[in-house]
Amino acid sequence: MITLNSALIVTAILFSLSLIGLVLNRHNLIVLLMCVELMLLAVNTNFIIFSHFLNDLAGQVFVFFILAVAAAEAAIGLAILILIFRKQKTINVSELNTLKG
Amino acid sequence: MFNFTLILPELFVLCMVCVVMLVDLFVEQRQQVLTYALTQLTLVGAAILTLCIYCIPTTANFSGLTVHDHLGSVLKLAIYITSFFVFLYSRNYFRQQNMGKGEPYLLGLCSILGMMVLVSAHNFLTLYLGLELMSLPIYALTALQRDKEQALEAAIKYFILGALASALLLYGLSMIYGASGSLDITQVANVIGANSTQHPLIFVFGLVFVVAGLAFKIGLVPFHMWLPDVYTGAPNAATLFLAVAPKVAVIGMTIRLLVECLPGLQVQWQELLIVISVLSMILGNFVAIVQTNIKRMLAYSTIAHGGYILLGFIAGTAAGYSAALFYTLAYAIMSLGAFGIITLLSKQGFDVETIEDLQGLNDRNPWLAFMMMLLLFSMAGLPPTIGFFAKLSLIEALVSTHFVWLACIAMLVAVIGVYYYLRVIKVMYFDKPLDNKPFSLAWDAKMAITINGLAILYFGIFPGALITLCQQLFWSGTMLN
Amino acid sequence: MQLLLTAILLPPLLGAILAGIFGTIIGRVASHRVTVLGVLISFICSCIIFKNFILDHQSTQNIIAYTWGTSGAFQFNVGFLIDNLTATMLMVVTSVSLLVHVYSIGYMRGDAGYQRFFSYISLFTFAMLMLITANNFFQLFFGWEAVGLVSYLLIGFWFTREPANFGSLKAFIVNRVSDVGFILGIGGVITLFGTVDFLPVLAQAPKVAASLPTISLFAGTSWSIITVICILLFIGAMGKSAQMPLHIWLPESMEGPTPISALIHAATMVTAGVYMVARLSPLYELSASALTFILVIGATTALFTGILGVVQNDIKRVIAYSTLSQLGYMVAALGASAFAAGIFHLVTHAAFKALLFLAAGSVILALHHEQDMRKMGGLRRYLPLTYSCFLVGALALAAIPPFSGFYSKDAIIEAVHLSTIHGASYAYVALMIGVFVTALYIFRAFFMTFHGSCSANSASQDNIRENGWVIWLPLVILAIASITIGMIVKHADALQLALHAFTSLPFWLAIAGIVTAWFCYVIRPAIPAMLANKFSWLYYILIKKYGFDDFNQIVFVRGTRALAQLLYNYGDQRLIDDGLVNGSGRLIQWISATLKRLQTGYIYNYALAMIIGVLALVLWQMLIA
Repeated sequence: MITLNSALIVTAILFSLSLIGLVLNRHNLIVLLMCVELMLLAVNTNFIIFSHFLNDLAGQVFVFFILAVAAAEAAIGLAILILIFRKQKTINVSELNTLKG
Repeated sequence: MFNFTLILPELFVLCMVCVVMLVDLFVEQRQQVLTYALTQLTLVGAAILTLCIYCIPTTANFSGLTVHDHLGSVLKLAIYITSFFVFLYSRNYFRQQNMGKGEPYLLGLCSILGMMVLVSAHNFLTLYLGLELMSLPIYALTALQRDKEQALEAAIKYFILGALASALLLYGLSMIYGASGSLDITQVANVIGANSTQHPLIFVFGLVFVVAGLAFKIGLVPFHMWLPDVYTGAPNAATLFLAVAPKVAVIGMTIRLLVECLPGLQVQWQELLIVISVLSMILGNFVAIVQTNIKRMLAYSTIAHGGYILLGFIAGTAAGYSAALFYTLAYAIMSLGAFGIITLLSKQGFDVETIEDLQGLNDRNPWLAFMMMLLLFSMAGLPPTIGFFAKLSLIEALVSTHFVWLACIAMLVAVIGVYYYLRVIKVMYFDKPLDNKPFSLAWDAKMAITINGLAILYFGIFPGALITLCQQLFWSGTMLN
Repeated sequence: MQLLLTAILLPPLLGAILAGIFGTIIGRVASHRVTVLGVLISFICSCIIFKNFILDHQSTQNIIAYTWGTSGAFQFNVGFLIDNLTATMLMVVTSVSLLVHVYSIGYMRGDAGYQRFFSYISLFTFAMLMLITANNFFQLFFGWEAVGLVSYLLIGFWFTREPANFGSLKAFIVNRVSDVGFILGIGGVITLFGTVDFLPVLAQAPKVAASLPTISLFAGTSWSIITVICILLFIGAMGKSAQMPLHIWLPESMEGPTPISALIHAATMVTAGVYMVARLSPLYELSASALTFILVIGATTALFTGILGVVQNDIKRVIAYSTLSQLGYMVAALGASAFAAGIFHLVTHAAFKALLFLAAGSVILALHHEQDMRKMGGLRRYLPLTYSCFLVGALALAAIPPFSGFYSKDAIIEAVHLSTIHGASYAYVALMIGVFVTALYIFRAFFMTFHGSCSANSASQDNIRENGWVIWLPLVILAIASITIGMIVKHADALQLALHAFTSLPFWLAIAGIVTAWFCYVIRPAIPAMLANKFSWLYYILIKKYGFDDFNQIVFVRGTRALAQLLYNYGDQRLIDDGLVNGSGRLIQWISATLKRLQTGYIYNYALAMIIGVLALVLWQMLIA
């Protein structure tokens, strides 16, 4: 039987991985979008685990909403990404630093 | 249980979003005035509906998913009024800067709907949905000027970091859900209150993530990095939009989460907020000094003002919360005017960006310069403007809860803040204009900016009514739990 | 009542705003119309209040209109205290202000700053009304500073002239010095009474005084706090009401336009100090030492500034010194506890001094801004109306019965005569001599201006004629007031008092003064020059105004400059500028620049900052828990 703690550790690792991905990736914007999705997945898993151990359906319902929002978010993110590519012909993260200081 | 009367404003705005979308599809580019008028009508209608149901006593609606109370209603009214002015100021900008036909209005209305849901949320689910519905259209609004590189960069930064912040907030909420077994704000508060002496570590763990998410949305150190870049890069009208109403809504969310949901963890969040607030006030005020871009300067001052608002939460009393709310409303009026003037001054192919662009404004349009001066005085916290009373009531709340040292820091950095506000006034009044042409405004914009500027003065001289309103919202009787 | 007060206070303010901000848009005529209308409304409402209080004997009203802020138990109220004193002052201020507004239409015609001028005097009226209707020290102080500000602006109205700038700065600085005393006095009131409202302070005063609170200002000495507060507040009054040695600003203030001299520097603002002491009279009654102080200062001012009036050649300056001297009479009356007599003299003085100033203004205008009396003479023929008005004012000032000045001055001299406090006999003698001096200098000015041969060249003589109705109408009204006020107030014993005067010393002193002036300036014009030669040392002292200005120049100005230079070189430049100001400026700039560099512009750095922030907060909270 999987314990609550070990399940939470898995999601924590998942969450941390996506955070690390955000920080370490310096080239591709798409990877950033993937990391964001991964983060939301970690949160979803968290909700499902709690829902299971609490015997409460509300957590799983929440997950559906998060999935829907994540889809909308991805759509907007990709749209902005396409605009950037059209304008600058690159999606290199380290070249996006005209705004600073 | 299912009282649709109480969500009439939301339903109305939702219907009108659809109407505006359809109307916008079928009208010519030239008749954009229709979209604009419908949008403003929506806001007026929503305000009337909200006022009609204002007096209905506090009730939890839809099995506790939303709540109807005076706090929510007042915040909604503030959102409508400020957004009304925002659209009024931006109308010409949208038209001249080629930001699409009805898109800005549509996105704005969607975002306003999100804010309405957010401030009356009584469940983590509605809270999250409201937050996302508020944020997503703003990302799009920022990127709406498709041929401007900086706007796109700002949009992607805002988007990625905003998604990160939402994820942090959600992660924290999931922890609190796991520990308390409920998503309902009242029930969570009851569970935490029940074992008030010893909290499971997981609550504190969740709290930190929640506070991080909130701090991002308000724009507080160290979660503030997006704010200067987005304010600078976004088209002026988008900056105007995202600087005003969302701030009010997010403070509403903060009240819901910290004051209504997690009062049992007050000791913990007080500590967190002290650190964040002090860092924000210091960094915001210090970095604003060296800015040459006026939007960037105001962005850093926003960070500092966010730090001030937190002081009210730190005080942790009803007086403190009402002071924080009062400061938020005051700040909304001030930034509405300041960014509004920047938007109004922008012409086709010319965005007001640097402080030099305001040079000699007094020679070109003395009334506008005078209004800007009032707004800047208010931001600096000088009497007899509303900003003075906002700061005063915060300091009073802090001192009465024995955070004297914090009050001292707040005042010291405020003095530094005066410098960069006055510098703008100096530029407006004492420098020669680069462009000698007098600058005239349309009658509606002129009227709006006049009301806006004089409100600063009016509430500075007669602050009683607004202060009393804010205080009443936090009387024990009016809150749900 | 509140409505009535609003109708008194707001119209002048609105007029000031309209003429000041929109002056260029609405034009000159509209500017003077709105301001005159504002003051007219104010005047009519003041009449109603005057009728209610003085004639129908309504009881005192204390109105709290609005609580501006609360700090602990302390409230900042906007409130009004209306009683007989306020009603009288309202009447004086609004009526003189109205007449001066009308007069200015003629006097300021053609001036480039026409709208600005009307905006200022309307603003002044508002501030003065705030001052006299206040029911607490803060509001009084607000009005006090606001009238000071407008006074400063108006003295320097012609800001391209150097003396005007100098005069306005002098007025400003001298008033700041006295304000220090005033503020300290208010501070003392707050610590002693815990409130700033007049009524509670005055009600508590006897009880507090009975407990004999003392304060040790210097080691080993002990002072009655009431006395200290009274004297500190009076120092404030000394600046505003130009009492020696803080009187030096008033003569310089004559650089402003003449209507201003009439309104601000004769009839209303300078009497604010007298009003304030009268308002707080129950407090002053508790301190004999403070009263002695006031009496001596007042009597000294009354005599010695009057003497200076004898040697002045500028017509406005003569009247300015006369104002100083008459203020001295009022203050002396306060010192002798004759508060009613002081206020009575304030009222009559407002009428005849405004009259004198406006008449002098009429002369100046007719002579195209010539103020030197040596270049005048014989104007009687050209300006008959101004001549008779000036004569009425001069007779009232010289206290000849039955003119108004006689009744009020007589009451003051009588009160000082009967007073038994220390210094009363000195004051009595000084005021007596003052009566002679007063008659001498004002009739000297009168004869020099209107009698004798005409010194203006014949070409310009044809151009000398009376001005329009806006000029002479206020003169006539004020002249009638100067004749009748005294008789109206003393209606029952007016005749008896006047008859009694013929057997009393002050009357004959005044007559002697007039005769001397007539003899020296009409019959034997050589005498003054001869006397000046013979008593050249005395003449020198008087021309130097007892050396107050030189003393200030040498001790305060030069001394302060030397000290300032020293401090500037060592303290300021090295320590503060280099060390603290530039240092902290540089430090802040450095911190700012460093913090600014943290904002790199890279998304991953931003994300890193957020993540580090969360981790740090989590670790911190976990470690605590």
